[in-house]
Amino acid sequence: MKVNLVSRSGREVVKGGIELTDEFKVLFLGVRFQATVSDLQEAIHARIKKYYPSRQRLTLPLQAGCKGKPVVLIPKKKLADYCDGNANNLTVVFKDLGVQVSYSTLFFWEYLGPLVIYPVFYYFPVYKYFGYEGERTIYPVQTYALYYWCFHYFKRILETFFVHRFSHATSPLSHVFRNCAYYWTFGAYIAYHVNHPLYTPVGDFQIKIGFTFGLICQLANFYCHLILRNLRSPDGNGGYQIPRGFLFNIVTCANYTTEIYQWLGFNMATQTIPGCVFLVVATLIMTNWALAKHRRLKKLFDGKEGRPRYPRRWVILPPFM
Amino acid sequence: MAGFLSALRRIYLSLYNWTVFIGWFQVLYFAVKALREGGPTTVYDAVEKPLQLAQTAAVLEILHGIVGLVRSPVSATLPQIGSRLFLVWGILWSIPETRTHVLVSSLVISWSITEIIRYSFFGMKEALGFAPSWLLWLRYSTFLILYPTGITSEVGLIYVALPFIKASEKYCIRMPNKWNFTFDYFYASIIALAIYVPGSPHMYGYMLGQRKKALSKSKTA
Repeated sequence: MKVNLVSRSGREVVKGGIELTDEFKVLFLGVRFQATVSDLQEAIHARIKKYYPSRQRLTLPLQAGCKGKPVVLIPKKKLADYCDGNANNLTVVFKDLGVQVSYSTLFFWEYLGPLVIYPVFYYFPVYKYFGYEGERTIYPVQTYALYYWCFHYFKRILETFFVHRFSHATSPLSHVFRNCAYYWTFGAYIAYHVNHPLYTPVGDFQIKIGFTFGLICQLANFYCHLILRNLRSPDGNGGYQIPRGFLFNIVTCANYTTEIYQWLGFNMATQTIPGCVFLVVATLIMTNWALAKHRRLKKLFDGKEGRPRYPRRWVILPPFM
Repeated sequence: MAGFLSALRRIYLSLYNWTVFIGWFQVLYFAVKALREGGPTTVYDAVEKPLQLAQTAAVLEILHGIVGLVRSPVSATLPQIGSRLFLVWGILWSIPETRTHVLVSSLVISWSITEIIRYSFFGMKEALGFAPSWLLWLRYSTFLILYPTGITSEVGLIYVALPFIKASEKYCIRMPNKWNFTFDYFYASIIALAIYVPGSPHMYGYMLGQRKKALSKSKTA
């Protein structure tokens, strides 16, 4: 079949289109296969070197006057599934997603910043350059905060490489700069205040409760990540399942819930405005994600055609949402 | 009921736009008068009251956007109003040493011409249901000059204010305190200056896009 590849403005991306034959895979396995979207992606990459498959967004053209989102071509599906009439000719809309990096790369760099920057404020005489001469006394809570913070980001890096199974393989390169700016700036902002020579600790009891609660939530968060991991198969298809067990029975995004509560524990113990600002911003961001995920799961699992129905659950922060 | 509410909305917005229009007209009038009579150093004192009133009233526009009374996206109006309020209250009112600078004249003249055109445009649309094409043209063309002059004045005045901000320690919160919080107005102002670097091309580009849309639409209409 011939695939006409056009950009969203209608321009031909590949002159003359791409010819895909059923024999495309015959050489490989000796069995007749029908061409898949993945084959098309490989063919485009072969024609235009810089467009590797994870950079391609392929959609069916939107019918004139039709509102709503265009149909995205899924790599594993056969091209024939997307042709409703003409089995020999298909028009596909192409969008370049820009340079891509793997999610692991993105997460590693954004988490490395806080892991390295925070100890700099603790161990090195940084405050000299802000005009604070002389020795500074370090309170126990500041030391515990260092361990807690570094454990948190070390845990995140380990989870990135050994636990998470991502829904998409890649993310745009621009996200590296955006996310690193977010994490690294907040990391420095909080580290500056917690390790400050004029830092005022709170009472012992509040510190103990804060760090203990936070640690429990970090462990719960890890367990949530394990549950989410087991929902996806290792061959990297992504996909979505209904999470079950542990806190997921009550709340859709229990992983975000435990993450928010663990920052609450940190702030309870360290009591800084910058820490609280970070908590609020992170909560807003995660709430956005949680709403989208909850909506997606409810839409996917609508109870029709044999699919299970998504159970009634809190989205992220009972009893508010 | 719906018709009544819609009429109420129109009356309110007409009143709002024309009232603020009068405020900015006063700013321009007093500014030009002061320039001719006393020179650039006297402009601020002549325009202070109508400037503060007219510019602070713009906070209502954020409310209008949130409540849905108008269609403008909050994301476009918020940075604009933010920078204006920062200049009017955070620089000119807080740091008196800046008031006699010549950039004050270019600032208030750039702002007042822009706002006179903008508020009369919206005032006409709400009150009469249409705005003349020459006013539409003015609204989407004068920014080509007035954005650069206005932004230069804003950046210049913040820069001029910096040494006075540092010396006065105004609005600074130091440690130690119970919430382990610090605020340094000097560094915050520098960050504000830094935001102008990506912010100005972004706003200018946005207006260029709006101009293209608005002026081509009127051609086909």
